[in-house]
Amino acid sequence: MRIGDGAGSNGSPPLVVLEHISKRFPGVVANDEVDLQLRAGEVHALIGENGAGKSTLMRVLYGMYPADGGRIVVRGEEVKVASPRDAIALGIGMVHQHFVLVDPFTVTENIILGEEGGSRLDVDAARQRVAELADSYAFRVDPSAVVEDLSVGEEQRVEILKALYRGVEILILDEPTAVLTPSETKDLFGNLRKLREAGRTIVFISHKLDEVMEIADRITVLRRGRVVGETRPADTSKAKLAEMMVGRPVLFRLEKPTVEIGEPVLRVRDLAGEGKLNGIDLDVRAGEILGVAGVEGNGQRELAESLIGLRVPASGTIQLDGTSIAGMPVADIRNAGVAYIPEDRHDQGLVLNMTLWENSVLGRHDDAEFSSKLGVLLIRRIKDLAERLVRLFDVRARSIDVTASTLSGGNQQKLILARELETDPKLLVAAQPTRGLDVGAIEFVWKEILEQKAAGRAVLLISAELDEIYALSDRIVTLYEGKITGEFSPDAPPERIGAGMLGGAEQEVA
Amino acid sequence: MATEGMAAPARLARARPAWLEGFLGQLIALLASLGIALLLGSLLIVAYGESPVAVYSAILKGSLGSADGIGYTLSIATPLIFSALAVAVCFKGGLFNIGVEGQYLVAMVTAAWAALTFDALPGPLLVFVVLLFAMLGGMVWAAIPGILKVKTGAHEVVTTIMLNGIAVSLLAWAINFPLKFTNAPPGQNVDLRTDLFSDKALIGDIGHYFGVTPGAHLSWLLFLAIAAAIVVWFLLRRTRLGYEARAVGSSPGSAKAGGVSIGATQLRLFLISGALAGLVGMQEILADKGYLGQNYVATLGFTGIAVAFLGQNNPIGIVFAAILWGVLSRGEVTLQIQTEVPREFIIILQGILILSVVITYQIAKRRLAARQLQRAGAAGELEDSAAPDESSGPRGPETAGSDAFEPADEGGR
Repeated sequence: MRIGDGAGSNGSPPLVVLEHISKRFPGVVANDEVDLQLRAGEVHALIGENGAGKSTLMRVLYGMYPADGGRIVVRGEEVKVASPRDAIALGIGMVHQHFVLVDPFTVTENIILGEEGGSRLDVDAARQRVAELADSYAFRVDPSAVVEDLSVGEEQRVEILKALYRGVEILILDEPTAVLTPSETKDLFGNLRKLREAGRTIVFISHKLDEVMEIADRITVLRRGRVVGETRPADTSKAKLAEMMVGRPVLFRLEKPTVEIGEPVLRVRDLAGEGKLNGIDLDVRAGEILGVAGVEGNGQRELAESLIGLRVPASGTIQLDGTSIAGMPVADIRNAGVAYIPEDRHDQGLVLNMTLWENSVLGRHDDAEFSSKLGVLLIRRIKDLAERLVRLFDVRARSIDVTASTLSGGNQQKLILARELETDPKLLVAAQPTRGLDVGAIEFVWKEILEQKAAGRAVLLISAELDEIYALSDRIVTLYEGKITGEFSPDAPPERIGAGMLGGAEQEVA
Repeated sequence: MATEGMAAPARLARARPAWLEGFLGQLIALLASLGIALLLGSLLIVAYGESPVAVYSAILKGSLGSADGIGYTLSIATPLIFSALAVAVCFKGGLFNIGVEGQYLVAMVTAAWAALTFDALPGPLLVFVVLLFAMLGGMVWAAIPGILKVKTGAHEVVTTIMLNGIAVSLLAWAINFPLKFTNAPPGQNVDLRTDLFSDKALIGDIGHYFGVTPGAHLSWLLFLAIAAAIVVWFLLRRTRLGYEARAVGSSPGSAKAGGVSIGATQLRLFLISGALAGLVGMQEILADKGYLGQNYVATLGFTGIAVAFLGQNNPIGIVFAAILWGVLSRGEVTLQIQTEVPREFIIILQGILILSVVITYQIAKRRLAARQLQRAGAAGELEDSAAPDESSGPRGPETAGSDAFEPADEGGR
């Protein structure tokens, strides 16, 4: 029953074999005859674009979805995994992107939940066991801490410990680094190496290629529900992996257009509010992309929302072309020439159960062009606008009459970009514009942002991804605890920008 | 390699226009839920030892079997259309106005006052003024929870419940004191009420055009209610306010980032809802009775919530839902005469109907969402990045945000 021997074959029989696994959802084949082998003691990266079927495949293995076809062999025996309970009994555990912890409980209570054993609960003994377990894999976590006081990284450790406590040998991590800061990622990788040394097998689902190259022993690439290849970091490169994922070569560095940098369009002075912003000074000039780097939660969201008018700053000034816009209503700020790409496209970008044409006019529905004086929508014109936007930005949709919820994340983001840029803004505020997008869509968004620069507009780019900051920015500032802690040129080494992101008051004249 | 099989289904679904798709889906869902309700009702009837066929035909015969029956059915439906529209308008904006009850009670008081006070006006003008005061009364009573919601964040469910209680007392006070009849009619034990309105303040009967007994009190209000439904449809679908309301109702954050003022939108919805609620009681005082008395018809506001649900908050669907409700309510009368089944059976049947609507619409909605995804696949959008955004999927109106009561969507969009 050996199937296509993998690149990293070391002679020992594979621990888990997935054979011809297929899984269909209405209209989508998420997994199409997928074969995969996991060996004891390896970190196996499963990579692919959003929707390539990585999570689905692992959910089949974890018993969350029944497969429509194929078989699962664990330790040489064919098994039926009908529920996560079955999976855990087989030594397979999974940590999801969204944690399932009871907030008011302690770490220990969360870990033993469902595994208390017996009618009497010996918390002290349990805590002891949890502490030992954590120590053995170098997990830094206090077993008596209450979960609601923990950081995201710590919560993730609790989730992993929960699986290990249940004797899991094969640990599936679904995009574990998506929620982590760079230093937390480093810690996680340390833990994973310890687990590998101890002979555990780890499946690492990701689309971040740098991380995969760093931590994986073997890499399986999925595209549209199929395996397109299996390789090892030593035998491949980021560019090759990206090409396998997307199906065509991907540019990681785009040519920045040369354009004369003009007068300041946005001038922020001493902006403060709600404890998250503590006196920010910024200038963004025409034809310039200013990158704001920083670990999330240091005031990025508040900064962006203050600029578009969703928040009223407590003090300080915001000037657009010399006119103060601080505290004005969103509609007025938009009319003054500010466009906004929100970090959360579902909560601040689109109305998911409205159609594409309805979404394409959101924010401009007040214009005389799109509604009459009496407040009647001029639907013909709105639909013309929508048709144009969808065509220009290559939004893939059956028609403009479908709801926004039917679009893929990349196409949703394209629709937002199209809508926001159509207004010919003076300033574009782009907050985490490529979050959750896959390589192909990221490239598209980056090109569009560079287009804005080429057109002489000012762009404020807020991103937690240093890659993105480097790829686009003319100037970089770091945001830490609501303050600008440094200003850098895009030639500055990442370590120095990293120091700024952590509050190091390094200054460099750009 | 890039050209190899998109795993999309082989046959492309025929592209039907979206509105037709929605309409058909809605119709099928409604018929299915009606079927389920009738089936469950049959079990109950059999358990009671009667024949379902006999019971259902008694209901149908009584409500739709004669001109009179239809007249009664439609005049029962008339106030329910207004009431359900009032509920639906707020629902679309993510608001749960269960204060329609109180709003129409207050409106009956203001309308009665106007009818008695402006008695000198010529006929049609008097009717117009009375209706205007009814709407104003409803608007004032709806503005209170609206302002409280916008200014203080007080949840409209709590405030409207409280205001309903106050409205009941307000009406009782009005007919006990300021509006109490002055010229006591002959006879003892006259119910507490206002003076009779003059005939010219009443809404004209239309039953006689169709051979319906005057006892059914079928009036022009029916046409006003249908017109109101069309206006509400236009308002929600074709105007800026309706657009903003739906955006606020399904994604407040995106609406706000799009420059929509959530507070102003919600307040306006409350006012429109209140105006519609104001017309609920007009069938009672201007068509049925000709005065406002202590034995007024109560709970029309609450029934409106059920009817709005049955019509899935679609203005046109509401008209049909109200008529269906009227059929059942009217059928109650013949049921008692012709069968042994107690009248409470109708109430149970109405309850079952609501439940099965809730369930079938949920199923229909999911199937529709699944089909839309399928279409998306068939159209090849997936080339770029496969499956629709994980977190979006058939997530629907959960995005309505903090409000515990999510606005039911019009099944098929």
